[in-house]
Amino acid sequence: MKNPPRWAVRLLELFCAPHLREEILGDLHERYGRDVLRAGVAGANRRYLLNVLKFIKPFALKRRTADDSTPSFLHPVMIRNYLKTSFRNLTKYKVSALINLFGLSLGVTACLVIYLITNYELSFDTFHPDRERIYRLVGIEKFNPRADSHPAGFVPNAVPAAVREEVAGLGTVAAFHNIRSTVLIPNGSEKPERFEESDIRSEEIIVADPQYFDIFQYQWLAGNPKTALNEPFQLVLSERKARKYFGNLPLVQILGKQVIYWDSVQVSVSGIVKEWGKPTDLTFTDFISIATVRSSRMKQSINLDQWDDIWSSSQAFVKLPEGAKPEQFNAAFQQFSRKHFQKEFKFTPGLQPLADLHFDGDYVDNYSRKAHLPTLYGMMGVAVFILLIAAINFVNLSTAQSVQRAKEVGVRKVLGSSRKSLVFQFLSETALLTLLAVSVALMLVNPILSASQSLTPTGLTFNLFSVETGLFLLGLTVCTALLAGFYPSLVLSSYLPALTLKGQSTLLGGQKGYLRKALIVFQFTVSLIFIIGTLIVERQLNYIRNKDLGFTTDAIIEVHSGRAGKTELLAEKIKQLSGVERVAKQWFPPMGMSYMMTKMKYYGKKEIELDVSAKVGDEHFIPLYNIRLLAGRNFQKSDSLRELVINSTFAKRLGFRKPADALNKMVEFDGTKYPIVGVVADFHEQSFHSKIDPAFIGILPQARNLGVKLQGKSAEELKATLARIEEQWKAVHPDKKFTYDFLDERIANLYEKEQKTSRLVTIATAVAILISCMGLFGLATFTAEQRTKEISIRKVLGASVAGIVALLSRDFLKLVFIALLLAAPIAWWAMTEWLKDFAYKVDIEWWVFALAGLLAIGIALVTISFQSIRAALLDPVKSLRSE
Amino acid sequence: MRRSYLGEFEEVVLLTVAVLAEGAYGVAITDELERQTGRSVSISAVHAALHRLEEKGMLKSHLGEATAERGGRRKRLFTVTVLGSRTLHDIRAVRKQLWDSIAPNGLPAVSL
Repeated sequence: MKNPPRWAVRLLELFCAPHLREEILGDLHERYGRDVLRAGVAGANRRYLLNVLKFIKPFALKRRTADDSTPSFLHPVMIRNYLKTSFRNLTKYKVSALINLFGLSLGVTACLVIYLITNYELSFDTFHPDRERIYRLVGIEKFNPRADSHPAGFVPNAVPAAVREEVAGLGTVAAFHNIRSTVLIPNGSEKPERFEESDIRSEEIIVADPQYFDIFQYQWLAGNPKTALNEPFQLVLSERKARKYFGNLPLVQILGKQVIYWDSVQVSVSGIVKEWGKPTDLTFTDFISIATVRSSRMKQSINLDQWDDIWSSSQAFVKLPEGAKPEQFNAAFQQFSRKHFQKEFKFTPGLQPLADLHFDGDYVDNYSRKAHLPTLYGMMGVAVFILLIAAINFVNLSTAQSVQRAKEVGVRKVLGSSRKSLVFQFLSETALLTLLAVSVALMLVNPILSASQSLTPTGLTFNLFSVETGLFLLGLTVCTALLAGFYPSLVLSSYLPALTLKGQSTLLGGQKGYLRKALIVFQFTVSLIFIIGTLIVERQLNYIRNKDLGFTTDAIIEVHSGRAGKTELLAEKIKQLSGVERVAKQWFPPMGMSYMMTKMKYYGKKEIELDVSAKVGDEHFIPLYNIRLLAGRNFQKSDSLRELVINSTFAKRLGFRKPADALNKMVEFDGTKYPIVGVVADFHEQSFHSKIDPAFIGILPQARNLGVKLQGKSAEELKATLARIEEQWKAVHPDKKFTYDFLDERIANLYEKEQKTSRLVTIATAVAILISCMGLFGLATFTAEQRTKEISIRKVLGASVAGIVALLSRDFLKLVFIALLLAAPIAWWAMTEWLKDFAYKVDIEWWVFALAGLLAIGIALVTISFQSIRAALLDPVKSLRSE
Repeated sequence: MRRSYLGEFEEVVLLTVAVLAEGAYGVAITDELERQTGRSVSISAVHAALHRLEEKGMLKSHLGEATAERGGRRKRLFTVTVLGSRTLHDIRAVRKQLWDSIAPNGLPAVSL
């Protein structure tokens, strides 16, 4: 028989009072049947609709207030009921509830920690008023017509003032210079109080234009912001710094107090500002007026009129007028560049948005800590995947269990539960579990943050009670609960009570589980990608650690004597000590952050000019670092440059096939020609990210630091030697601090980012595998239970234990194998991208994938074998007896 | 004496329920009304009247069997209450009294 149009029925259901619906719909249905016979379907439809519309009458619209109607599914009573049943169900199915809780807690914790880190990094310098109008004056530098152009996060000293004068409409321009200094606080006739340079971070002291405080707004606690930096010898301190220098004096009394920088530059406090207390790269605390420079011995170090050189300490910020676009100044900057840089050195100013300061690694400077945006995004991705894996566990376990709960659903439906309220009941179970997981995460987050300080950015704190964190947690809870609970609740609530109560639920449960299988494949794909990533990152780091650098790093320290002076004397004294094998005067060790590039010319068949890296050291440099001589000899002792030793890349670039061919050839450096007396094997000067450049070794005036090779291996021996060296240092420099670095540690620092990535990937892998395995364990438990009878019958018919274990494991292993096929290309692509950053790298070999696959299969096998072996060992009599 | 007023349509519906006895529900009442009075009656009007009569206490109802022709929905079956019955009797008595009071030639003759 034809049915009336569905939408017309819906329409009536929409407006008609619920207690009248059934009889009215029934009557209309009956009438419809008659109308179909009399007037055909179209006519009957029309009449049906007409009849429906005629029911728009007060009596049909009015809802009954009687209390025997079913309460709304969001009624407080119902919500209480949801919670109660949820709690009962969670305690009833303890294993799966625990697995889910554990997985979700891990996922939520990972998400929360990663959120805190990324949110912290992304919030840098986002609190300044008018921040979108604040730019840093940066530029493109080019040292001579033949050199490459480099982006520079700093400007020549004379540029800010000139830009302010010459580029119209630029708004406020404020220059400042980072300086380092020991701080002295005069104390009447007594010895001044002293704060060592090494205790004061390089990001703290600046010499600043008064306009600095027009661009960046501080809260002034004392002093007049209008005049505080206008005169020479004025100083603005942050509150914390003022407290550090002057203790608990009232702030007003601190005004006018004296502070001495650079031993003799005495300035007086003219203002005190409050720190921002928010994430910022502008962590300056001592602001010396820039007028001080011209009036003191600072002018010897900071030449404010310098055009032909550039220092990373020279900074300038600009606040554009409202409505101005940074691009509109390009032409003016070009013109400015043409006007002022007519000699060898070229510089074109540009503007860098304040928002990029924390992220753009191209524009380096002395104070900002750069965060690596791709890493941050990668971490967010990792967080999402881990949470997804945990949610998938939940989906899988609850759909697998749905058979057990089908009866419950049937009874509930018979007793009048609507589908909506069933969905809500299941969702509230998920929500309850998620809430538990979130509270576990909240308890874990602080211990985790403090335990992993080396991985997290400094200054990161966790504030549970901030609005943002609260919103994030709320969003996370809702998302997770929906993600994990939505599908299972739809499946469970869809069961037809008539079927489930008759006991046909097993038929219902067997929707072949394609979705479940797909989800397991997804979980293992993610885990496998993480495993492959870990293996390759670890291999690359191993390669870096173990590849021959071309020189030795064992037991070598650098003593930073350059600034203190008296290097000769110190070198002599240290050389005498027992436990010291050799001492070399040098600028920097062969490998490190700092290096010097210069130009060299060779007049062979044709003139060759090369960018060459200069390794500055005396005649002890090559033997101390054990750099291998390929041809010729070491250069002889002298006070100034007479002879050169070059590396083999240099020789090759000059066109010599054999290293020995380069001997006794002359190269020009700084207008003078020097003979090549030796060729050494290539050694790495920078991290493995960059290729080995041509390099020479020779003595230059910069060789004022010391490299010291210590004897002995044990920590005690080294410690004793270091103490003796420090004694000598104290004898030479009684009032200066002895600072040194171990070379191998310095080199390890070059790979800090990679070390962090490695640890991060390892942790992510561990978490992902752990969660996936728990899901697998739960599923294995469940299938083993479900197939108990089948297994028993198989055993009765003569199946072996091994055969049954294989039977139970095969399904899962198939899935892991599919996951491997999916993961391999994705991981290969991702790791190729990562390795692109290295000039020297490992190959991605096939066995890495095989190993990862074996690992995954092994882990999966171990996880499920417990359950499958238990099922296989079960006595068939027991399980078959009860029917 | 307390008197309940019934509209003309309500009275007819109430009478029809009485006529149908056991099987009085929406569609049956509508059909019977159409058959007996020859006028076209909408289901919604009948439902409204039934609803009102039940509120006045002249009808009571219970849900009956579900049938396939009703799409598996149950009928609401109506029966006349004592109050309903008394009201009908009252009306009829008043009518009768009035008829009886009309002089033999008080009405123009009509042919039936």
